[in-house]
Amino acid sequence: MVSTAWRRTPHPFTTDLDVSSDAFWAKTFVQRDETFASLREHAPVSWHPPREAPEIPEELHGETGFWAVVKNEDIAFVSQNHQLFSSDSEEWGGIFMRPTDPRIFGNPNFLTMDPPEQTRYRRIMSAAFTPKGVSRISDKINERAEKIIDRVVGMGNFDFVTEVAAKLPMLTVADLIGVPEDLVEAFATAGNNFANVTDPEFVPEGVDPLQFMFAQLTVLRQIGVDLVNYRREHPAEDIATALAQADFDGRKLDDDDIQSMMLLLSIAGNDTTKQTTSHTVNSLGKHPDQKAWLKEDFDGRIAGSVEEFVRHASPIIQFARTATQDVELRGQKITQGDKVVLFLCSGNRDEEVFEDAHRFDLSRDRTGHVAFGGGGVHYCLGNGIAKAQLKAIFSRVLTKLPHLQITGEPDLLFGDFINGIKRLPVHA
Amino acid sequence: MIINVDRGRCTGIGICESVSPEHFEVGDDGALVLVTESFIEEDRGVIEQAVRSCPAKALSIGSALAAPTATAEEGGT
Repeated sequence: MVSTAWRRTPHPFTTDLDVSSDAFWAKTFVQRDETFASLREHAPVSWHPPREAPEIPEELHGETGFWAVVKNEDIAFVSQNHQLFSSDSEEWGGIFMRPTDPRIFGNPNFLTMDPPEQTRYRRIMSAAFTPKGVSRISDKINERAEKIIDRVVGMGNFDFVTEVAAKLPMLTVADLIGVPEDLVEAFATAGNNFANVTDPEFVPEGVDPLQFMFAQLTVLRQIGVDLVNYRREHPAEDIATALAQADFDGRKLDDDDIQSMMLLLSIAGNDTTKQTTSHTVNSLGKHPDQKAWLKEDFDGRIAGSVEEFVRHASPIIQFARTATQDVELRGQKITQGDKVVLFLCSGNRDEEVFEDAHRFDLSRDRTGHVAFGGGGVHYCLGNGIAKAQLKAIFSRVLTKLPHLQITGEPDLLFGDFINGIKRLPVHA
Repeated sequence: MIINVDRGRCTGIGICESVSPEHFEVGDDGALVLVTESFIEEDRGVIEQAVRSCPAKALSIGSALAAPTATAEEGGT
Protein backbone atom coordinates (compact mmCIF):
# COMPACT_ATOMS: atom_id res chain seq x y z
CA MET A 1 0.00 0.00 0.00
CA VAL A 2 1.22 3.49 -0.75
CA SER A 3 2.76 5.25 2.19
CA THR A 4 0.50 8.04 3.27
CA ALA A 5 2.93 9.80 5.57
CA TRP A 6 3.48 12.70 3.19
CA ARG A 7 -0.21 13.21 2.56
CA ARG A 8 -1.11 14.22 6.06
CA THR A 9 -0.25 17.91 5.84
CA PRO A 10 -3.28 19.82 6.96
CA HIS A 11 -3.88 23.32 5.67
CA PRO A 12 -6.39 25.91 6.77
CA PHE A 13 -9.41 25.91 4.46
CA THR A 14 -9.01 29.11 2.51
CA THR A 15 -12.60 29.52 1.43
CA ASP A 16 -16.00 28.34 2.60
CA LEU A 17 -16.97 27.45 -0.97
CA ASP A 18 -17.58 23.72 -1.25
CA VAL A 19 -16.34 21.60 -4.15
CA SER A 20 -15.86 18.43 -2.12
CA SER A 21 -19.32 17.21 -1.22
CA ASP A 22 -21.71 14.90 -3.00
CA ALA A 23 -24.28 17.70 -2.75
CA PHE A 24 -22.06 20.02 -4.80
CA TRP A 25 -21.39 17.39 -7.44
CA ALA A 26 -25.11 16.68 -7.74
CA LYS A 27 -25.55 20.15 -9.23
CA THR A 28 -25.46 20.86 -12.95
CA PHE A 29 -22.35 22.03 -14.80
CA VAL A 30 -23.67 25.58 -15.00
CA GLN A 31 -24.67 25.64 -11.33
CA ARG A 32 -21.26 24.31 -10.30
CA ASP A 33 -19.54 26.94 -12.40
CA GLU A 34 -21.10 29.63 -10.23
CA THR A 35 -18.85 28.31 -7.47
CA PHE A 36 -15.88 27.99 -9.81
CA ALA A 37 -16.41 31.53 -11.08
CA SER A 38 -16.27 32.76 -7.52
CA LEU A 39 -13.09 30.81 -6.92
CA ARG A 40 -11.56 32.10 -10.17
CA GLU A 41 -12.16 35.62 -8.99
CA HIS A 42 -11.50 35.43 -5.24
CA ALA A 43 -9.47 32.31 -4.51
CA PRO A 44 -7.83 30.95 -7.67
CA VAL A 45 -5.83 28.42 -5.66
CA SER A 46 -7.71 27.19 -2.59
CA TRP A 47 -7.52 24.30 -0.11
CA HIS A 48 -10.53 22.05 0.37
CA PRO A 49 -11.55 19.00 2.41
CA PRO A 50 -11.08 15.64 0.67
CA ARG A 51 -13.75 14.74 -1.85
CA GLU A 52 -16.57 12.98 -0.03
CA ALA A 53 -16.03 9.27 -0.73
CA PRO A 54 -18.06 7.10 1.64
CA GLU A 55 -17.05 3.90 -0.15
CA ILE A 56 -13.43 4.29 0.96
CA PRO A 57 -12.68 4.28 4.69
CA GLU A 58 -10.72 7.43 5.55
CA GLU A 59 -7.99 5.43 7.28
CA LEU A 60 -7.42 3.67 3.97
CA HIS A 61 -7.03 6.76 1.81
CA GLY A 62 -5.50 8.99 4.50
CA GLU A 63 -6.08 12.23 2.61
CA THR A 64 -6.26 15.62 4.29
CA GLY A 65 -7.61 17.63 1.37
CA PHE A 66 -6.73 19.10 -2.01
CA TRP A 67 -5.86 22.36 -3.72
CA ALA A 68 -8.42 23.50 -6.29
CA VAL A 69 -6.77 25.08 -9.35
CA VAL A 70 -9.41 26.83 -11.41
CA LYS A 71 -7.67 29.31 -13.73
CA ASN A 72 -6.88 28.34 -17.31
CA GLU A 73 -3.35 29.70 -17.01
CA ASP A 74 -2.60 27.82 -13.79
CA ILE A 75 -3.99 24.57 -15.16
CA ALA A 76 -1.53 24.95 -18.04
CA PHE A 77 1.33 25.71 -15.64
CA VAL A 78 0.69 22.68 -13.44
CA SER A 79 0.15 20.41 -16.44
CA GLN A 80 3.37 21.46 -18.14
CA ASN A 81 5.56 21.12 -15.07
CA HIS A 82 5.40 17.43 -14.43
CA GLN A 83 8.57 17.43 -12.31
CA LEU A 84 6.76 19.66 -9.82
CA PHE A 85 3.36 18.00 -10.15
CA SER A 86 3.45 14.24 -10.50
CA SER A 87 0.85 11.91 -11.96
CA ASP A 88 2.45 8.87 -10.39
CA SER A 89 0.02 6.69 -8.46
CA GLU A 90 2.57 4.36 -6.89
CA GLU A 91 5.01 6.84 -5.41
CA TRP A 92 2.56 9.74 -5.07
CA GLY A 93 -1.19 10.26 -4.99
CA GLY A 94 -2.30 9.58 -8.56
CA ILE A 95 -4.62 11.56 -10.75
CA PHE A 96 -8.09 11.62 -9.30
CA MET A 97 -9.70 14.16 -7.02
CA ARG A 98 -11.68 11.36 -5.47
CA PRO A 99 -9.70 9.27 -2.97
CA THR A 100 -9.09 5.92 -4.60
CA ASP A 101 -9.03 2.46 -3.17
CA PRO A 102 -5.42 1.34 -3.58
CA ARG A 103 -6.57 -2.27 -3.85
CA ILE A 104 -8.30 -2.09 -7.18
CA PHE A 105 -6.20 -0.67 -9.99
CA GLY A 106 -3.62 -3.30 -10.73
CA ASN A 107 -0.69 -2.07 -12.79
CA PRO A 108 -0.73 1.64 -13.48
CA ASN A 109 -1.12 2.77 -17.07
CA PHE A 110 0.84 5.68 -18.47
CA LEU A 111 -1.76 8.20 -17.32
CA THR A 112 -0.50 7.60 -13.80
CA MET A 113 3.19 7.64 -14.59
CA ASP A 114 5.81 10.35 -14.97
CA PRO A 115 8.59 10.60 -17.52
CA PRO A 116 10.78 8.77 -18.32
CA GLU A 117 8.57 5.74 -17.71
CA GLN A 118 5.48 7.51 -19.02
CA THR A 119 7.33 8.41 -22.18
CA ARG A 120 8.29 4.81 -22.89
CA TYR A 121 4.79 3.44 -22.37
CA ARG A 122 3.08 6.21 -24.30
CA ARG A 123 5.49 5.71 -27.19
CA ILE A 124 4.35 2.10 -27.55
CA MET A 125 1.12 3.26 -29.13
CA SER A 126 1.67 6.90 -29.99
CA ALA A 127 2.22 6.27 -33.72
CA ALA A 128 -1.48 5.44 -34.04
CA PHE A 129 -2.40 8.94 -32.85
CA THR A 130 -0.14 11.28 -34.84
CA PRO A 131 -1.70 13.18 -37.78
CA LYS A 132 -0.37 10.39 -40.01
CA GLY A 133 -1.88 7.75 -37.75
CA VAL A 134 -5.20 9.54 -37.78
CA SER A 135 -5.19 9.74 -41.57
CA ARG A 136 -4.50 5.99 -41.76
CA ILE A 137 -7.74 5.28 -39.93
CA SER A 138 -9.70 8.19 -41.36
CA ASP A 139 -11.42 6.19 -44.08
CA LYS A 140 -12.56 3.64 -41.51
CA ILE A 141 -13.86 6.39 -39.22
CA ASN A 142 -15.84 7.91 -42.05
CA GLU A 143 -17.16 4.53 -43.16
CA ARG A 144 -18.37 3.81 -39.64
CA ALA A 145 -19.88 7.29 -39.25
CA GLU A 146 -21.75 6.90 -42.52
CA LYS A 147 -23.35 3.63 -41.38
CA ILE A 148 -24.25 5.02 -37.98
CA ILE A 149 -26.05 8.05 -39.38
CA ASP A 150 -27.67 6.20 -42.28
CA ARG A 151 -29.21 3.85 -39.77
CA VAL A 152 -31.08 6.63 -37.96
CA VAL A 153 -32.29 8.60 -40.98
CA GLY A 154 -36.09 8.68 -40.70
CA MET A 155 -36.00 6.70 -37.44
CA GLY A 156 -38.47 9.06 -35.84
CA ASN A 157 -38.06 9.38 -32.09
CA PHE A 158 -34.93 7.88 -30.58
CA ASP A 159 -32.23 8.41 -27.99
CA PHE A 160 -29.30 10.10 -29.69
CA VAL A 161 -26.84 8.86 -27.08
CA THR A 162 -27.57 5.16 -27.52
CA GLU A 163 -28.21 5.19 -31.25
CA VAL A 164 -25.46 7.57 -32.39
CA ALA A 165 -23.12 9.20 -29.86
CA ALA A 166 -22.12 6.00 -28.09
CA LYS A 167 -21.31 4.13 -31.29
CA LEU A 168 -18.42 5.70 -33.17
CA PRO A 169 -15.93 6.20 -30.30
CA MET A 170 -16.25 2.61 -29.21
CA LEU A 171 -15.89 1.31 -32.76
CA THR A 172 -12.88 3.54 -33.41
CA VAL A 173 -11.04 2.43 -30.27
CA ALA A 174 -11.80 -1.15 -31.22
CA ASP A 175 -10.45 -0.53 -34.75
CA LEU A 176 -7.32 1.14 -33.36
CA ILE A 177 -6.67 -1.79 -31.05
CA GLY A 178 -7.75 -4.42 -33.56
CA VAL A 179 -10.59 -5.87 -31.45
CA PRO A 180 -12.55 -8.34 -33.57
CA GLU A 181 -15.99 -7.10 -34.58
CA ASP A 182 -17.87 -9.71 -32.55
CA LEU A 183 -16.17 -8.59 -29.32
CA VAL A 184 -16.55 -4.85 -29.83
CA GLU A 185 -19.82 -4.54 -27.94
CA ALA A 186 -18.59 -6.47 -24.90
CA PHE A 187 -15.46 -4.34 -24.94
CA ALA A 188 -17.32 -1.04 -25.01
CA THR A 189 -19.97 -2.07 -22.49
CA ALA A 190 -17.27 -3.02 -20.01
CA GLY A 191 -15.46 0.28 -20.56
CA ASN A 192 -18.69 2.26 -20.16
CA ASN A 193 -19.67 0.40 -17.01
CA PHE A 194 -16.29 0.96 -15.45
CA ALA A 195 -16.43 4.70 -16.07
CA ASN A 196 -19.89 4.91 -14.54
CA VAL A 197 -19.41 2.69 -11.52
CA THR A 198 -20.34 5.53 -9.15
CA ASP A 199 -23.71 5.99 -10.87
CA PRO A 200 -26.27 3.69 -9.21
CA GLU A 201 -28.17 3.25 -12.47
CA PHE A 202 -25.26 1.38 -13.99
CA VAL A 203 -24.56 -0.99 -11.14
CA PRO A 204 -27.18 -3.76 -11.05
CA GLU A 205 -29.28 -3.71 -7.89
CA GLY A 206 -27.83 -5.76 -5.11
CA VAL A 207 -24.38 -5.92 -6.70
CA ASP A 208 -21.43 -4.57 -4.75
CA PRO A 209 -19.89 -1.71 -6.80
CA LEU A 210 -16.40 -3.02 -6.15
CA GLN A 211 -17.33 -6.47 -7.50
CA PHE A 212 -19.01 -4.82 -10.46
CA MET A 213 -15.84 -2.85 -11.18
CA PHE A 214 -13.72 -6.00 -11.04
CA ALA A 215 -16.09 -7.72 -13.43
CA GLN A 216 -15.57 -4.99 -16.06
CA LEU A 217 -11.81 -5.09 -15.62
CA THR A 218 -11.92 -8.83 -16.20
CA VAL A 219 -13.75 -8.47 -19.51
CA LEU A 220 -11.30 -5.84 -20.78
CA ARG A 221 -8.35 -7.87 -19.61
CA GLN A 222 -9.56 -11.03 -21.30
CA ILE A 223 -10.22 -9.42 -24.65
CA GLY A 224 -6.92 -7.55 -24.53
CA VAL A 225 -4.75 -10.45 -23.45
CA ASP A 226 -6.22 -12.89 -25.97
CA LEU A 227 -5.84 -10.38 -28.77
CA VAL A 228 -2.28 -9.39 -27.92
CA ASN A 229 -1.26 -13.04 -27.66
CA TYR A 230 -2.81 -13.65 -31.07
CA ARG A 231 -0.89 -10.67 -32.48
CA ARG A 232 2.40 -12.07 -31.21
CA GLU A 233 1.95 -14.75 -33.87
CA HIS A 234 -0.08 -12.80 -36.43
CA PRO A 235 1.09 -9.17 -36.42
CA ALA A 236 -1.02 -6.51 -38.05
CA GLU A 237 -1.03 -2.71 -38.11
CA ASP A 238 -2.89 -2.11 -34.88
CA ILE A 239 -2.27 -1.22 -31.27
CA ALA A 240 -2.57 -4.83 -30.15
CA THR A 241 0.45 -5.59 -32.31
CA ALA A 242 2.32 -2.61 -30.90
CA LEU A 243 1.57 -3.97 -27.43
CA ALA A 244 2.65 -7.46 -28.47
CA GLN A 245 5.94 -6.15 -29.83
CA ALA A 246 6.67 -3.69 -27.01
CA ASP A 247 9.99 -4.47 -25.44
CA PHE A 248 11.60 -2.83 -22.43
CA ASP A 249 15.16 -4.15 -22.54
CA GLY A 250 13.93 -7.66 -23.15
CA ARG A 251 10.85 -7.46 -20.94
CA LYS A 252 7.55 -7.84 -22.77
CA LEU A 253 4.30 -6.42 -21.50
CA ASP A 254 2.62 -8.76 -19.04
CA ASP A 255 -1.10 -9.41 -18.72
CA ASP A 256 -1.48 -6.72 -16.04
CA ASP A 257 0.11 -4.15 -18.37
CA ILE A 258 -2.26 -5.16 -21.15
CA GLN A 259 -5.25 -4.86 -18.83
CA SER A 260 -4.14 -1.34 -17.93
CA MET A 261 -3.80 -0.33 -21.56
CA MET A 262 -7.24 -1.74 -22.40
CA LEU A 263 -8.74 0.13 -19.48
CA LEU A 264 -7.06 3.35 -20.47
CA LEU A 265 -8.12 3.18 -24.10
CA SER A 266 -11.65 2.09 -23.40
CA ILE A 267 -12.26 4.90 -20.93
CA ALA A 268 -10.16 7.66 -22.46
CA GLY A 269 -11.27 6.90 -26.01
CA ASN A 270 -14.86 5.92 -25.40
CA ASP A 271 -16.71 8.11 -22.95
CA THR A 272 -15.05 11.40 -23.80
CA THR A 273 -15.84 11.60 -27.50
CA LYS A 274 -19.30 10.18 -26.86
CA GLN A 275 -20.10 12.93 -24.37
CA THR A 276 -18.77 15.67 -26.64
CA THR A 277 -20.95 14.34 -29.46
CA SER A 278 -24.09 14.34 -27.31
CA HIS A 279 -23.41 17.77 -25.83
CA THR A 280 -22.75 19.19 -29.28
CA VAL A 281 -26.00 17.88 -30.75
CA ASN A 282 -27.79 19.43 -27.80
CA SER A 283 -25.97 22.73 -28.25
CA LEU A 284 -26.51 22.87 -32.00
CA GLY A 285 -30.19 22.20 -31.34
CA LYS A 286 -30.36 25.08 -28.87
CA HIS A 287 -28.39 27.42 -31.16
CA PRO A 288 -29.69 27.06 -34.71
CA ASP A 289 -27.73 30.16 -35.70
CA GLN A 290 -24.50 28.32 -34.88
CA LYS A 291 -25.66 25.26 -36.78
CA ALA A 292 -26.46 27.42 -39.81
CA TRP A 293 -23.10 29.19 -39.58
CA LEU A 294 -21.26 25.89 -39.62
CA LYS A 295 -23.32 24.54 -42.53
CA GLU A 296 -22.56 27.65 -44.58
CA ASP A 297 -18.92 26.58 -44.92
CA PHE A 298 -18.47 23.23 -43.23
CA ASP A 299 -15.03 22.45 -44.62
CA GLY A 300 -13.67 25.89 -43.80
CA ARG A 301 -15.25 26.10 -40.34
CA ILE A 302 -15.25 22.61 -38.90
CA ALA A 303 -11.70 22.66 -37.55
CA GLY A 304 -12.35 25.69 -35.37
CA SER A 305 -15.85 24.47 -34.53
CA VAL A 306 -14.56 21.15 -33.25
CA GLU A 307 -12.38 22.99 -30.74
CA GLU A 308 -15.48 24.79 -29.47
CA PHE A 309 -17.42 21.51 -29.38
CA VAL A 310 -14.78 20.15 -27.03
CA ARG A 311 -14.31 23.32 -24.98
CA HIS A 312 -18.01 23.76 -24.41
CA ALA A 313 -18.69 20.11 -23.62
CA SER A 314 -15.63 19.79 -21.37
CA PRO A 315 -16.19 16.04 -21.04
CA ILE A 316 -13.45 15.55 -18.48
CA ILE A 317 -14.14 17.63 -15.41
CA GLN A 318 -10.89 17.25 -13.50
CA PHE A 319 -7.62 15.50 -13.14
CA ALA A 320 -5.30 15.69 -10.16
CA ARG A 321 -1.59 15.81 -9.51
CA THR A 322 0.62 15.58 -6.43
CA ALA A 323 3.16 18.26 -5.58
CA THR A 324 6.60 16.65 -5.44
CA GLN A 325 8.09 19.58 -3.56
CA ASP A 326 6.92 22.77 -1.90
CA VAL A 327 5.61 25.15 -4.56
CA GLU A 328 4.00 28.55 -4.32
CA LEU A 329 1.10 29.26 -6.67
CA ARG A 330 -0.96 32.47 -6.60
CA GLY A 331 0.44 33.19 -3.19
CA GLN A 332 -0.63 29.85 -1.76
CA LYS A 333 2.02 27.61 -0.27
CA ILE A 334 1.54 24.13 -1.67
CA THR A 335 3.40 21.55 0.37
CA GLN A 336 5.18 18.47 -0.93
CA GLY A 337 2.64 15.64 -1.07
CA ASP A 338 -0.42 17.87 -1.43
CA LYS A 339 -3.06 16.82 -3.93
CA VAL A 340 -3.65 19.49 -6.57
CA VAL A 341 -6.87 19.21 -8.59
CA LEU A 342 -7.03 20.79 -12.04
CA PHE A 343 -10.62 21.77 -12.77
CA LEU A 344 -10.63 21.62 -16.56
CA CYS A 345 -14.34 22.51 -16.45
CA SER A 346 -13.39 25.82 -14.84
CA GLY A 347 -10.41 26.45 -17.12
CA ASN A 348 -12.82 26.18 -20.03
CA ARG A 349 -15.07 28.91 -18.61
CA ASP A 350 -12.26 31.27 -17.60
CA GLU A 351 -13.54 34.76 -18.36
CA GLU A 352 -9.99 36.00 -18.86
CA VAL A 353 -9.58 33.65 -21.81
CA PHE A 354 -13.09 33.25 -23.20
CA GLU A 355 -15.40 36.16 -23.71
CA ASP A 356 -18.91 35.24 -22.57
CA ALA A 357 -17.48 31.89 -21.65
CA HIS A 358 -20.74 29.96 -21.33
CA ARG A 359 -21.80 30.88 -24.85
CA PHE A 360 -21.58 28.14 -27.47
CA ASP A 361 -19.76 30.10 -30.20
CA LEU A 362 -18.19 28.20 -33.06
CA SER A 363 -16.30 31.20 -34.41
CA ARG A 364 -14.07 31.64 -31.34
CA ASP A 365 -10.29 31.70 -31.59
CA ARG A 366 -9.00 28.15 -31.75
CA THR A 367 -6.51 28.17 -28.92
CA GLY A 368 -6.72 28.22 -25.18
CA HIS A 369 -9.11 25.52 -24.03
CA VAL A 370 -7.99 22.81 -21.65
CA ALA A 371 -10.45 20.07 -22.52
CA PHE A 372 -7.54 17.91 -23.68
CA GLY A 373 -5.59 18.94 -20.61
CA GLY A 374 -3.34 21.89 -19.92
CA GLY A 375 -0.54 20.75 -22.20
CA GLY A 376 2.71 18.95 -21.48
CA VAL A 377 3.52 15.27 -21.59
CA HIS A 378 0.02 14.03 -20.70
CA TYR A 379 -1.81 16.08 -23.31
CA CYS A 380 -4.60 13.92 -24.64
CA LEU A 381 -2.99 11.40 -26.95
CA GLY A 382 -6.30 10.80 -28.69
CA ASN A 383 -7.10 14.41 -29.50
CA GLY A 384 -6.62 13.93 -33.24
CA ILE A 385 -8.74 10.79 -33.29
CA ALA A 386 -11.47 12.54 -31.31
CA LYS A 387 -11.50 15.49 -33.68
CA ALA A 388 -11.60 13.22 -36.73
CA GLN A 389 -14.62 11.42 -35.29
CA LEU A 390 -16.43 14.65 -34.48
CA LYS A 391 -15.82 15.94 -37.98
CA ALA A 392 -17.06 12.66 -39.51
CA ILE A 393 -20.20 12.48 -37.41
CA PHE A 394 -21.20 16.11 -37.68
CA SER A 395 -20.66 16.42 -41.40
CA ARG A 396 -23.30 13.71 -41.70
CA VAL A 397 -25.56 14.99 -38.94
CA LEU A 398 -25.75 18.32 -40.74
CA THR A 399 -26.30 16.90 -44.22
CA LYS A 400 -28.28 13.69 -43.60
CA LEU A 401 -30.27 14.73 -40.52
CA PRO A 402 -31.06 18.32 -41.47
CA HIS A 403 -34.31 18.35 -39.50
CA LEU A 404 -32.92 16.73 -36.38
CA GLN A 405 -34.82 18.07 -33.40
CA ILE A 406 -34.18 17.79 -29.71
CA THR A 407 -37.48 16.61 -28.27
CA GLY A 408 -36.74 16.72 -24.57
CA GLU A 409 -34.31 17.74 -21.87
CA PRO A 410 -31.05 15.80 -21.76
CA ASP A 411 -30.82 13.28 -18.93
CA LEU A 412 -27.57 14.42 -17.33
CA LEU A 413 -24.84 12.26 -15.84
CA PHE A 414 -23.92 13.64 -12.44
CA GLY A 415 -20.42 13.05 -11.19
CA ASP A 416 -17.05 14.62 -10.51
CA PHE A 417 -15.13 13.19 -13.44
CA ILE A 418 -17.24 12.94 -16.59
CA ASN A 419 -19.54 15.75 -17.71
CA GLY A 420 -22.02 13.57 -19.49
CA ILE A 421 -25.43 13.09 -21.00
CA LYS A 422 -27.05 9.71 -20.40
CA ARG A 423 -30.00 10.16 -22.75
CA LEU A 424 -30.93 12.77 -25.33
CA PRO A 425 -34.35 12.38 -26.91
CA VAL A 426 -34.40 13.48 -30.54
CA HIS A 427 -36.47 13.14 -33.64
CA ALA A 428 -35.06 12.60 -37.14
CA MET B 1 12.86 33.74 -40.05
CA ILE B 2 13.31 30.23 -38.69
CA ILE B 3 11.30 27.82 -36.58
CA ASN B 4 12.90 26.68 -33.32
CA VAL B 5 11.88 23.40 -31.72
CA ASP B 6 12.63 22.82 -28.05
CA ARG B 7 13.31 19.10 -28.23
CA GLY B 8 13.05 18.81 -24.47
CA ARG B 9 9.41 19.86 -24.66
CA CYS B 10 8.26 18.39 -27.97
CA THR B 11 6.51 15.04 -27.50
CA GLY B 12 5.27 14.62 -31.07
CA ILE B 13 1.62 15.45 -30.43
CA GLY B 14 1.32 16.91 -33.91
CA ILE B 15 -1.06 19.84 -33.53
CA CYS B 16 1.54 21.83 -35.49
CA GLU B 17 1.23 19.38 -38.38
CA SER B 18 -2.56 19.63 -38.37
CA VAL B 19 -2.23 23.42 -38.55
CA SER B 20 0.45 23.42 -41.24
CA PRO B 21 1.53 20.12 -42.79
CA GLU B 22 3.73 22.08 -45.21
CA HIS B 23 6.05 22.97 -42.35
CA PHE B 24 5.67 20.24 -39.73
CA GLU B 25 5.64 16.47 -39.90
CA VAL B 26 5.50 14.00 -37.03
CA GLY B 27 6.96 10.63 -37.92
CA ASP B 28 5.79 7.26 -36.65
CA ASP B 29 8.68 7.34 -34.22
CA GLY B 30 7.01 10.37 -32.60
CA ALA B 31 9.76 12.76 -33.65
CA LEU B 32 8.86 16.10 -35.18
CA VAL B 33 10.59 16.91 -38.44
CA LEU B 34 10.62 20.45 -39.72
CA VAL B 35 9.83 20.19 -43.40
CA THR B 36 11.61 23.48 -43.79
CA GLU B 37 13.50 25.28 -41.05
CA SER B 38 13.18 28.72 -42.59
CA PHE B 39 9.89 30.10 -43.86
CA ILE B 40 8.68 32.94 -46.03
CA GLU B 41 6.93 35.96 -44.63
CA GLU B 42 3.62 34.99 -46.25
CA ASP B 43 3.50 31.95 -43.98
CA ARG B 44 4.05 33.88 -40.76
CA GLY B 45 0.35 33.80 -39.83
CA VAL B 46 -0.01 30.04 -40.03
CA ILE B 47 3.36 29.45 -38.36
CA GLU B 48 2.36 31.71 -35.49
CA GLN B 49 -0.86 29.75 -35.16
CA ALA B 50 1.13 26.52 -34.97
CA VAL B 51 3.42 28.05 -32.35
CA ARG B 52 0.42 29.17 -30.27
CA SER B 53 -1.34 25.82 -30.67
CA CYS B 54 1.51 23.69 -29.37
CA PRO B 55 0.31 22.21 -26.08
CA ALA B 56 3.90 21.66 -24.97
CA LYS B 57 5.01 25.22 -25.86
CA ALA B 58 7.86 23.65 -27.79
CA LEU B 59 7.85 26.00 -30.77
CA SER B 60 9.13 29.48 -31.29
CA ILE B 61 10.06 31.76 -34.15
CA GLY B 62 13.63 32.96 -34.32
CA SER B 63 15.91 35.01 -36.48
CA ALA B 64 18.02 33.21 -39.06
CA LEU B 65 20.95 35.35 -37.97
CA ALA B 66 20.98 34.03 -34.38
CA ALA B 67 23.28 31.12 -33.57
CA PRO B 68 21.31 27.91 -32.95
CA THR B 69 20.86 27.27 -29.24
CA ALA B 70 21.54 23.93 -27.60
CA THR B 71 18.51 21.76 -26.97
CA ALA B 72 17.13 22.57 -23.53
CA GLU B 73 17.91 19.58 -21.28
CA GLU B 74 15.60 20.32 -18.41
CA GLY B 75 11.90 20.56 -18.90
CA GLY B 76 9.76 23.02 -16.95
CA THR B 77 10.28 26.73 -17.12
